[in-house]
Amino acid sequence: MVFNSLIFVAFFALVLALHSLPFSWTQKKINLLIASYIFYSAWNPPFVILLWISTVVDWFAAQEMIRAKNPWRRHAWMLASVIANLGMLGYFKYGQFLLDNFVTLAAALGVHYHPPKFDIVLPVGISFYTFATLSYTLDVYLRRATPARNFLDYALFVTFFPHLVAGPIMRPTELVPQFAEPRRASPDQLRFGLALMTLGLFQKVVLADGFLAPAVQGVYDAGKAPGMLDAWMSTLAFSGQIFCDFAGYSTTAIGVALCLGFAMPDNFRFPYAAVGFSDFWRRWHITLSSWLRDYVYIPLGGNRHGEVRTYASLMGTMLIGGLWHGANWTFVVWGGLHGLYLAVERLLRGRFSDFRPGAWSLAALGLLTFILTNITWVFFRAKTFDKAWTVLRGMAGANAHAPPLVAAVYLITTAAIVSGIVAAHAYMRNRTLEQVVARVHPAAIVMVWSAMAFAVIIEQGSGDAFIYFQF
Amino acid sequence: MPSSTSSFEIVLEAPARHAPPPGLRLTAADRPGVAQPVPERDIPAQPWRAISLAVLVITAALTGAWEWRARTHGLRAGDLNDGPSAWAEQRRRIDTEPVAVAIVGDSRILFDTNLDRFQALTGVRPVQLALQGTNGRPFLENLADDPKFKGLVIVGMAETSYFRKGVGLMKAALDRAHYESPAQRGSFLIKRELERHIAFIDHDSQLSSMIARLDPGLRPGADDNPYDDVWKISETFDDRQTALWPRIEQDTYLRVQARHAWDGFRGKPITKDVIAMTEARTRAAVNKIRARGGEVVFVRPPDAAALRVNEEKRLPRSAGWDALLKAVNARGVHADDLPAAQDLTVPEFSHLNAKCAVVFTDAYVRRLTQLTARLRLRPDAPPPLSTADCAPGSTRVKGAGPRA
Repeated sequence: MVFNSLIFVAFFALVLALHSLPFSWTQKKINLLIASYIFYSAWNPPFVILLWISTVVDWFAAQEMIRAKNPWRRHAWMLASVIANLGMLGYFKYGQFLLDNFVTLAAALGVHYHPPKFDIVLPVGISFYTFATLSYTLDVYLRRATPARNFLDYALFVTFFPHLVAGPIMRPTELVPQFAEPRRASPDQLRFGLALMTLGLFQKVVLADGFLAPAVQGVYDAGKAPGMLDAWMSTLAFSGQIFCDFAGYSTTAIGVALCLGFAMPDNFRFPYAAVGFSDFWRRWHITLSSWLRDYVYIPLGGNRHGEVRTYASLMGTMLIGGLWHGANWTFVVWGGLHGLYLAVERLLRGRFSDFRPGAWSLAALGLLTFILTNITWVFFRAKTFDKAWTVLRGMAGANAHAPPLVAAVYLITTAAIVSGIVAAHAYMRNRTLEQVVARVHPAAIVMVWSAMAFAVIIEQGSGDAFIYFQF
Repeated sequence: MPSSTSSFEIVLEAPARHAPPPGLRLTAADRPGVAQPVPERDIPAQPWRAISLAVLVITAALTGAWEWRARTHGLRAGDLNDGPSAWAEQRRRIDTEPVAVAIVGDSRILFDTNLDRFQALTGVRPVQLALQGTNGRPFLENLADDPKFKGLVIVGMAETSYFRKGVGLMKAALDRAHYESPAQRGSFLIKRELERHIAFIDHDSQLSSMIARLDPGLRPGADDNPYDDVWKISETFDDRQTALWPRIEQDTYLRVQARHAWDGFRGKPITKDVIAMTEARTRAAVNKIRARGGEVVFVRPPDAAALRVNEEKRLPRSAGWDALLKAVNARGVHADDLPAAQDLTVPEFSHLNAKCAVVFTDAYVRRLTQLTARLRLRPDAPPPLSTADCAPGSTRVKGAGPRA
């Protein structure tokens, strides 16, 4: 189920009530585990089996790694875990993509192969829980952590519903220890958790789905070539939509966990205030970028084996990061562009290591980062390269006599909302939400919280899935 | 929130390699290559109890005011909204009960059929499967492909909707009937119960839609000008009984906008290959249904002359309706041929008002009972209606509304 649905409201109320009853801590964890399976199976019950397979395989792999007396046996169990997890991910997410590319390649070589079309349904959130559970065996293999001694705690780590389907991608060391002792939210944690949920749902239901999506669809789902204004405004709208959608999910998830007494990590740190792309990736989808850094970039060699290897590792990591988002070459190009930006930034930082930007330079570099990020979003949102080129040509003003595509009201709301997001990120660049909330007058909090709650209620929402669920 | 000890131990400490600016808390981005510790989430020091109480009271008051505003603008509790889940629920009835009559088609047969009148005349309450903005043919084919269905299909038709390749607006309904997740079903059931008591829950009256509609077309030619869209024109009740929203009749601005949205049903003439494809696929579907004992009839509801003239330009009756019935060897009821259904009130040119829908239903169902043995008039059927029965001021018929 999605957070922005009525069934979730009922589900969460029930879970909260159960969690506050005087059960033993073990019983409460069992309740949370069952609730998490119900949460997941509300999409498609049979896919719970995949979750179980992933859970059980990694549990035994980690146990065997610890028992293994010789290194190759440890290595073999680690590989078994990686193959099992990536095998499932590969089959369900990339099976059709690989087959299509094989057919294209064969055709290029003169072999005309026509396999039957796969009819594979992508299990929701498989990319997220695969990475979460992989981090468990990899941390044990890398001797960063010892295996959980309690299967219940481990299974709950994999399945805990606030992070299960769209992150934040949690590491076992972040969550398993929280299951060791009884946890129940204090009244203030519960209230602040509800406030965070309201903020997250406001971002998703009102801003992303209600106001920004129409401007995006007006160009990216249209059959006509956009002019410069439409192409830029639609892409800016998508930059706002993807942030509000995904950060909204993360904020809601953090709020949900907090209401139950658990802490989840930040997944976003006001990314549109980033200056440079290494800064951007320390602010955008932090739990994914740090996962890729720790389990892909560093094992590939990181920056320890010379410049060429560093750039290769960087690009390889970002291409994999792109492909993680979806089985389409457009996502690979999106990742490749970010890899290129990071490589150029690294090169420039080396050449101009003495450069200390002033306030205006920082602002200009921040703006450049935002504009270049928007270029990458074109490939992220466009379903085909043809569409991406058409939009990019529009952004460059090269689509002559393009008809207007986006209505004036959507141009105005996009300009207002995206400007507001960028301004808010600039203000919050070196602050946390909690710091700002602690400083403002309580009346302001009441006003903003009420306005957001009211807007969520009257926007109603249509239970649209979060964009990141498809990844 | 303090971290706790656990059996799951972090073996390596996590030094911060990229110290963030003062004031920011560390994240995994600042701790490369190490096990990540339990996150810490601080709660801002504020009087949260008073704040949350105030938020609750203010939000409740604002929502109450919004509900009052919705009711003053003609929204009614009990209007259940239509959508893929509501359609799928009706479609599933074919899997679980012997359905004698199912209706497929576009919004005209959906709005213009009164299920209560149909039932009063024949004793049969049809399963309403017609959909707004949607081609009835793929849904006829869907029934044809379902061996469980052996009843009568009434295919409602606006030619410009039926004679086309695509499904139209509500393709999602077919997908939803194919698979509806437990979460979708659960949310649908909760929402429907709320809609019975709350008027402002209405997918045409969302905050973003209302703001979008402030744009009177400031950017001429833009594809998605909200003023050119179809706004709220219908109400839906139990069993997907749908009727024209009374405000369309009462409010000049809304009525004019609704007429504007149809753009006179202007468009290019329907091509011969589309006509041939439509006839061939309809014939195949009809034959499939007949092969297992079912039957198919066609109904063409009325519309205003302002639209009809353009529809005739795109596909004359002789090349569309008449040719189709001949091609598939089926019977049908055209509004033009029903004396009791002339001069009915079509406020926004395309759909009858709720009262006239009862009169039209009365007229076409009586004719159908003469065309097919699958429908019979009950001995205690109410007496026939005429156009005068839905004239302003007449109280003989009552349009569709929420069930008591």
